[in-house]
Amino acid sequence: MIRVAAVGDIHMGADSQGLLRPAFDTLPDCADLLLLAGDLTRHGTPEEAGVVAREVRGLAVPVVAVLGNHDHHDEQPEKVTEILQDADVTVLEGQATVFDCAGTRVGVAGTKGFGGGFVGRSAGEFGEPLMKEFVRYSRRCADGLRESLDELRERGCEARVALTHFSPVADTLAGEPLEIYPFLGSYLLAEAIDTGGADLAVHGHAHMGTEHGTTAGGVRVRNVAQPVIRRAFNVYQLHTADEAGR
Amino acid sequence: MTDPAENVEYRVAHLRERLAAGELGELGVRVEVRGRMVVLTGTVPSAQCRDILLHTARQELADLAVHSDVVVAENTSPDHAEELP
Repeated sequence: MIRVAAVGDIHMGADSQGLLRPAFDTLPDCADLLLLAGDLTRHGTPEEAGVVAREVRGLAVPVVAVLGNHDHHDEQPEKVTEILQDADVTVLEGQATVFDCAGTRVGVAGTKGFGGGFVGRSAGEFGEPLMKEFVRYSRRCADGLRESLDELRERGCEARVALTHFSPVADTLAGEPLEIYPFLGSYLLAEAIDTGGADLAVHGHAHMGTEHGTTAGGVRVRNVAQPVIRRAFNVYQLHTADEAGR
Repeated sequence: MTDPAENVEYRVAHLRERLAAGELGELGVRVEVRGRMVVLTGTVPSAQCRDILLHTARQELADLAVHSDVVVAENTSPDHAEELP
């Protein structure tokens, strides 16, 4: 069994230092790794990234993150990534990482993702260059996620988790105004998850949404935005294929 | 014709723009008009953020009643895990 802790949208600023650390210090008792589902800062400044880095530095479990749209606002995502990496956070964008958790190979594939909407109500790659680039960018993020999940399968992972900031499904947006769904996620992410294969998909971004959802292919989706889960993190226990066969 | 600057809908839109562009970078708070009252709902990361949010809203919508249901994010550990069979 793998215990995955996850939270997104912690939006840390200068006044946030120390707010989450007491809860994070309990992680070794209840989880094997911590996933951060983007929007770790408010404006994506190096100073705010430093607050996040100090909050997770030296934790006794591995920490894996994707960035969110807020972490891009100051247009220094590479710097934010570097500051987090210096605190031993694995930051994924179209990449995968593998951990050995008590003899079980656990893989995490991550991308920020982007918007575009859901089947039948989505933006198309048509018209003005800006509109086409909007959809192409979303597609590039989804392609990176699918390739990363493929890589995790090839590396023999017994449990695979897809980590995004934007939502792959509409289920977990329930509570948000319908009109803004295309800015909250894209079905392209769900298609990538169903094609590449995963045991769990975790995202943030939708503060007014709900926690539970499922892709069309049956992969469980969890919206772990902190305003949704109303805790420092939630923990999901995944049973591996080996255990299921016993 | 009424002055657009007096229109509550546009003033709420401008408040939302100010909250996003300002020191909070706040996109997650809902601002809705209820008659002559404006209601704020959502979750912010800290008590300081909530204070700034309320101050900004009351400044921007000075002649309107501003009601806040904004809460501060909870930072406690979970007391149980969800099992995914």
